[in-house]
Formats: sequence, C-alpha cells, structure tokens
Amino acid sequence: MTSTTEVVRAARPAVRGERTVARDNRRLKWVMLAPALAFVGLMIVFPLLYTLNLAFTDAFGAVNAAHSYVGPRNFLDALGDTRRFWPAVGRTALFTAGAVVLETVFGLALAMLMRRAFRGLRLLRTLLVIPLLTTPLAIGILWLLILDPTNGIANHLLTSMGLPRQEFLGSVSQSLPTLMLIDVWQWTPMMTLLLLAGLATLPGEPEEAARVDGAGAWQRFRYVVLPMLGPTLGIAVVLRSVDALKTFDLLYATKGPGGGSDFEVETLNIYAYGLTFDYQEYGLASAVLVLFTVAIVCVVILLRRRPEGRSA
Amino acid sequence: MPADPRPGPPPLTRRSFGRLAAGVAGGAALAGCAPGRGAPSRDTPLRVMGVNHVWSQAISKYVPEFEELIGRRVSMSLLTADQLSNSYNVKLNASGTDIDVMMMRALQEQLLFAHNGWLADLTGRVTGDAAFRWADFLQAARERSTTGGKVLSVPIVTERAALYYRKDLVAKPPATLDDLMETSLRLTDRGANFFGFVGRGQRNGSVSQWSSFLYAFGGDFTIDGRSGIGRPEAVTAYEYYGRLLREAGPPGATNMTLEQAMPIFAQGKAAFYVDADAIYTNFLDPKVSTVQDTVAFAPVPAGPRGARPYNIPSWSLAVSRFSLLQDEAWEFLRWAAGPEMVARIQADGIPGARTSAWSAPATLASFPPDLAAAMRRSSEIGVGHDRPEVLQVGRARDIVGRPLVAGILGGSVPAVARDADAEFADFLVRDNRYREA
Amino acid sequence: MRLSWLRAVVIVVVSLVFALPIVWMFAAAFKTNVQVTDPSVGLFFTPTLENFGNVLADGEILAALRNSLLVGVVSTVLSAVIAVPAAWAVGRFGMHRTGSLVLVARIVPAVSLLVPWYYLFAQAGLVGSYAVLILSHMFVSVPLILWIMIGFFEGLPVELEEAGRTDGLTAFGAFLRIALPLAAPGTATASVLAFVASWNNFMFALIFSDEETQTAPVTLFNFISYASTDWGGLMAAASLMTVPVVIAAIFGQRYLVAGLTAGATKG
Repeated sequence: MTSTTEVVRAARPAVRGERTVARDNRRLKWVMLAPALAFVGLMIVFPLLYTLNLAFTDAFGAVNAAHSYVGPRNFLDALGDTRRFWPAVGRTALFTAGAVVLETVFGLALAMLMRRAFRGLRLLRTLLVIPLLTTPLAIGILWLLILDPTNGIANHLLTSMGLPRQEFLGSVSQSLPTLMLIDVWQWTPMMTLLLLAGLATLPGEPEEAARVDGAGAWQRFRYVVLPMLGPTLGIAVVLRSVDALKTFDLLYATKGPGGGSDFEVETLNIYAYGLTFDYQEYGLASAVLVLFTVAIVCVVILLRRRPEGRSA
Repeated sequence: MPADPRPGPPPLTRRSFGRLAAGVAGGAALAGCAPGRGAPSRDTPLRVMGVNHVWSQAISKYVPEFEELIGRRVSMSLLTADQLSNSYNVKLNASGTDIDVMMMRALQEQLLFAHNGWLADLTGRVTGDAAFRWADFLQAARERSTTGGKVLSVPIVTERAALYYRKDLVAKPPATLDDLMETSLRLTDRGANFFGFVGRGQRNGSVSQWSSFLYAFGGDFTIDGRSGIGRPEAVTAYEYYGRLLREAGPPGATNMTLEQAMPIFAQGKAAFYVDADAIYTNFLDPKVSTVQDTVAFAPVPAGPRGARPYNIPSWSLAVSRFSLLQDEAWEFLRWAAGPEMVARIQADGIPGARTSAWSAPATLASFPPDLAAAMRRSSEIGVGHDRPEVLQVGRARDIVGRPLVAGILGGSVPAVARDADAEFADFLVRDNRYREA
Repeated sequence: MRLSWLRAVVIVVVSLVFALPIVWMFAAAFKTNVQVTDPSVGLFFTPTLENFGNVLADGEILAALRNSLLVGVVSTVLSAVIAVPAAWAVGRFGMHRTGSLVLVARIVPAVSLLVPWYYLFAQAGLVGSYAVLILSHMFVSVPLILWIMIGFFEGLPVELEEAGRTDGLTAFGAFLRIALPLAAPGTATASVLAFVASWNNFMFALIFSDEETQTAPVTLFNFISYASTDWGGLMAAASLMTVPVVIAAIFGQRYLVAGLTAGATKG
C-alpha cells in the first residue's frame, strides 16, 4: 500500500504545485461555506431533532416542565382524530391543489400572452411583481375590505349587475374557496414570471420548424412548447406547492386562530400552530408537525418524479 | 434569591445538548445583543405586563405614587389579551426573568400557569399582612385565586353578565328569556340594518357570554366532572341563543367577539346586547358611542331556572415565579389591590373585588343607578364561573362553542351537541390526565 | 388583426385585475370612514390625510415600522455576509449537494421551528431582544441569498478569476477583488428580496417579538380586530407597509424578476 503511493507520487512530480492549490481551494471553500452551513444547520438540525423527540412525549403546558415518553401515542391520537386532524388534511390538500392548478393554468396563459414584447410589457411586469412582494397581511386586509359582506365593493358590483349578495369571508362555506382565489391572485404572477424565464431559454428552431410544417398556434403550443417547458413547469409547480401547503399568514390574518368559527379554513399548519400556541399541547403538536413535514416531502418527491422515471 | 427557574428539569442529556447548541448559537452570532443577567440593580424597573383594559389605564395614572413609595421605576406594557397570552407563553417557557407582575385571567389561565409552575405562592403574603385584609375580598373571587390550597393571584376586576338595552325603544327591560326573544324578533328590521339583539357569536369568544343562558336553562359545562353540554338543558340553551342571533342578530354573527359586537350596539344598530357589565363605559363615551343618552342597564333575564348570570373575577394580578424582584412585585400587588386603591379605582367606575368597596355608598354612586342595581342583584345570585373549569380552557371553549355556531348558522343543534358532548368527554379525560401528571 | 385586438383587450383586463385591488387599498387610505364603507364612492373623491394623521399620532405604527426596518436591514446584511461567500464556494467548486441544504430549509414548516428555537434562544439568554428576531429572519434570508447567488456566480466567466490568480492573487483575493465586485448587482437583488421577506415576515414576529420589538405585520394584525370601526386607519397602516415594496417593484422590476426566478430554469 505505502509503496504504491510512493510510486504514484514519484511518478508525477509535476502535479505537486497544482495539488497545493487544490488543497488551498479545498480549505478555502469550506471556510467560505462554514458560517452559512453552521448557521442553517444549527437553526434546522436542532429543531428537527427536538420536535421529533417531543413528538414521543406528553409535553404539555410548558416546555420547561417535566414530561415523560409515551411512545407513539401522539401519532395514534392524531391519526385517529376525525374531528380536527383529518378535516385539516383535507382542507390543506384542497387548498393547495385548487390554488396550484389554477395558478399553473393562468400563469401559463399569461406567460404565453407576455412572451412577445408589446408596449406596456414593462408596466405589466411591474404590476405582477407588486402582489408577490406585498405582505400577505396587507393582502388579507385589502381583500377583507373589498369583500366585506355589507360595505364591500365586490358586493356593490354584484348587486348592480343584478346578482345576489355574497358573504365571502364572512361565510362558513365560502371562506376556503375565497381564500384560494386570493392566493391565486397573489401567486399567479410568480408562476408567470418563472415560466417566462423558462420560455426565454427555449431554442426557437423547433417551433419554427413546426410552423413551416403547417402546425397551428395551439398545436405548436401543445406539442412543441409545452414539452420543452416541462422542466421549468415542474420546478415552478413544486416551489408553489410547497409554499401553498404551508400557507399561514393569509389564513390566520383573515380568519383568526382555529380557522374560523366552524374551523372552515383550518389547514394542517393552522392546526399545528393552534395546538402549539393556543392549546400548549407540545407533544401532540410535534407529532402533527412531523406528519406534516413527511407529507410535504412526499409531495415534493411525487411531483419531482418524471413519467419516464417509472419505466427506468 | 431567585428560585430554581426550572420547576422540573428535563433529562440531563437533552438539556446539555440544548446548552451546547445554544452556546454555539449565542457565540457564533450576536452574543453581544443578549440582555445582561444577574442580580437586578436599583435601576432595573419593576416590569408589569397587562392587558389593555380600563383598569390598567386607571392604575397607570397612580403609578408615579408607587414609584415614589418603593424608589424604583415601574415599566408597564399593555397588550391585547391574545398577545398577552402569547407573551407569557414565550417568556415564561423560557424561564424569562423580565416579567415581575402579571395581569391574568384567573378562570382562563391560572390552572395552566399553576400546572406549569410559573406563579409565585402568595399564601403567606396575603394572609400574613393584616393591613391587606385578604378576607375583605369577595369569597368567590378568593376561591378562584386559590389553586391546590395556595393563593397564586389577587383579584382586581370583577364582571357579571348584564343586559344592555335601549330605553328609547323598550319601556321596560324583559324579565324573562321568552320576553327577550319576542321583543328582539319584533324590533329586528334587517332592511333598515337594525337588529333586535347583538351578542358574541364566534366559537371561542361567545362561550363566556352564553354561560348565563346555559345556567338559566338549568345546565352547566360540567356536572360532577362529566360533560354537561349534551344534556337537554344545554341543547335548549344552544338552540335559544342560536335562534336569537340567527333571527334577530346582525349578519356574520359567527365572526363576532367583543370587538365586533360591541360597536354594533354602540353605533345604535341593536336594541339588546348581552356582555360583561365592566365594559359599560364604552357606551357612555361620546367618541365611540351614539347611544350614551339612550342606553340602559338591566340584569340578564330569567330562564326556566330563574336568572343565573355569571359573576366572576375577570382579571387578577400574579407574581412570576422567575421574577428577581419578588418583594417589590408583591409590594405592587399590595398597593394596587389594597383597600385604599380599590376604593379609588372603583370610584372611577371600575368594579373591583373587595366587599368594603362594594358596600361603600360613595363608590357605588359612581355607577349609573340602574347598572349598580343590576350589579348588586347579579352578585347575589350569580354563578362563579363563565367557562369550563379545566386546565386547557382554550381547547374546551373551542369544543363547547361548536353547537353554538351550529345554532347560529341554522344547523342541527342536537346532532352537533351530541358530537361535541362526546368530544368534550374525551377532552375531560385527557385534561385530567395532564392535571394528574 | 383580430387576434392582436383580442390580445390587447386581455392584457388590459389582466393589468386591471392585478392593479385595481392595490389601488383600491391606497385610495381607501385617503378616504374618510364614511366614504370607505360607502362602495358608491369610487376612485374619485376629495382625499383626506386624516387616517395617516391618526395612525401616525398613535406612534405604535411608527415604532413598528422602525423595528421592521432595523430587523430587516441587520438580518439582510448579516445574511449577505455569510451567504455570498458560501454561494461563491458552491458555484465555483460545484458543491451542489451541500447547496441543496437550502431546499430543506424551504420545506420544513416554520411552526415546527418556533418552540425549539425559543428553547434554544432562552438557553442562550436571547429572549425578548432584537437578536431573536434577527436570527429567525436570517434563517429565511441566508438560504434565499445563497440560492440566488449560486446562479449568479455560475454565470460569471471563471477566466477573469483565473487571470487574477496568474497575476498573483490568492483564491480568496480573486473572490474579494474580482468576483465580488462583479456580483454586486446580484447581491443587491438578493438583498432586496431578503429584506422584503423580512419586512413581510409575520409568524416569527408574532411569536418572538414583544411590545418593544414588535414589527409592522404584527401591529397590523392587532389592528384587524378593530376593522369594523376604523377601516380607513387600517388601510392607511397597510398602505404604509406596502409603499416601500411598490417603490422597489417600480425601480428594480428587472433585477427583482431575475432574482425571483433564479435557479428555476436549470432543470
């Protein structure tokens, strides 16, 4: 063993200088990375272990009070709970799926619309950026005003067109769909911008060839552009889904703790928050959070799996 | 001497892991921003955390006198009730020493905080100080301040349910719940945006105001330690209150807590309003009220079991167990809840918890006469709680409030009440488990 | 011809859909409370500054905006200081697996971090100070800046740094003197986005701030329960929070879009 190394070293004396550089670089890259890695690692590894640990205890009331291990009881409690846990799972899935599907469709349409330059493109891009950067709190407040059951402009418009008045966020049945549409309003621009960036990187030739072959606009979109846009679309859907699953600010700001009087917008995130900070059930809350995190990871893996990955 | 800050130390490994990790975090970033620790100096203020309430505003006027008395600055921070709870949870979970005096709700938080070991034992102090006259406090209020045989808080504000009504619309306040229903329905004119009745309808917030109706129909939240909300009396009370808000109340009632319901009455859009008597000053303030000349006060009407309004100590003062200024904090309680200050504050129109203040004609004269009469009547016949007496009050209210919301929305109350009853029964088992742990 | 007319109409409608709600909020901030609750008062009315006067006179909003500014600036600067060199290392030395740690930070629900963090911060004696808020906001900003800057450094031609090396610069020198100045526009974009994320952050501030360190979103949240009595004030407060974002969007639209979409087109 030792002799082989000696031989290799002896055989390549010229590389020594480069090696020092390589070793320098190796040290440097870790030095440059260390603070960021240490920071993110510390801020996330400890909480994950802590939460996982707490999920198997009966921690309640105060985290600095004594607690004992109870095995998987919290997980069983959560999974057996059809009053709060499962409806919250359902609402989370419904909200995310509904919002992301609509955002993808509208975002794609808008991106195709904005693909070729026109006068006012800059202005429209600016208008699209504003909702993205505005705090969800302000978004919630402005829609509360617009959708106010008695004094809102939305109902004013509806009634002036002869349509019936709606309660929107004041109603138990309309709250979740309304919030879904607000989410669509705020986040469709994100989809559009991501897809526009993707469209900009596509080569022009395949589309041109299709045009020469006599393909119509829809056919070119369906059979040429869409497949090429696939990877970007995939990333955009994953990014949006992860954020939509975890929506908190908008829901909490407009409907308060517990997601309204009938829990009508209580998603998993809102439920976990309530268990932690309103009920102080740290053990159960941790179990719900572990399940929630696992679910998000599963969704990401599922969405990232390409159709051809199945055959491979 | 500071007491051991952690009531029950968690297993050593976890703790040392946390210390280690925290040490790295603290060392790596911003260690310089950490507040100084150690024994408080003369300059350290006495920190009082309270809710934004008329009592807090009244006492802060007198605080300079107290600062003079003890030669130490007092820093008072006033938050909304939700923010206050949040603050306690964060700071006391971290064994924070930056809270000395805590304003809290004995019926909402005391059992939990006591369970967590966050409250200093005041038994020796209240009974050992003859001038404080602990026996002068209303008996029911003293009982709520005592957990497991220890006095952990001192009551400062008391509340009873009251019926607010418009004397320009109703000649005589309704004496029975049937009267109230009938008159409310008659006065409702939705087209003109006028409502016979307004009250809280939000699942959690409405429970305390609904309690007086529950008692009037002969029910209670728990009966012999078991859920009482599935019983026929409770179902009738749910249906009654639900119908009142559904048919005579404003739209969107299920979103209403105190902050939303009160302005509707104050702006002259409702004939009746049931809420705590301690908030009456809102209706007499011309800045927010258009009814200051037409509002009148009455006890809550009687049901089949008579009139049974709640009568509770709503806010109390406690001393944080982690406070480094235990003696000074107690001095604050002694001063703020002492016989003299309670008399002064009650003369400002804020109902306190001392018999001496209640029996003094001068302090009684500060309330409108019909309100004073209603208050006196309610404290004689009242029930000493307005929410389930459990460890996890927030969760219990969320369960108990469900049939109420169903009633307001026009759903099937008996079905929801049956389901909530089962859930409440499970909850009580769980709550007991925590309590015994 | 017909198609381009259709396209123009659709573009105008889309612009209105995204612009009008925000315009409506700003307009409401300048209305009296009677006008706010009267939907027949549209966008043309005599504006009043009364709402802003009331909101600012209270002092609470101003203090909250000041706190938001402080926490935003400090957390962004500190994040950039640690994230930009890290991004360079990832981009230059192809350490993408290490870089993907970033994604983990994005997946984990923030609620699950709150309790462990406050335990951690309490042990370090940091509770109730700005440090807690700054550290929590950095947790969002560091991955964000890292993510955007990796792409940026990868886009810089490596030859420039190599030329510097042959002129006698160390690897670190090449980063400091050559890569960093070239990456200034990217750093600016990433920092603005990180600042906006901090400015908008609600959940961390809801739990970790107290009355002295409270940031603007929390103050806004506390206002919401009084909406039915003071819509105008609420809209004025929300507008004050939104103005900086609108200004950033108007002047930095191109760069911000580049930052927002960074990393999404690399399959």
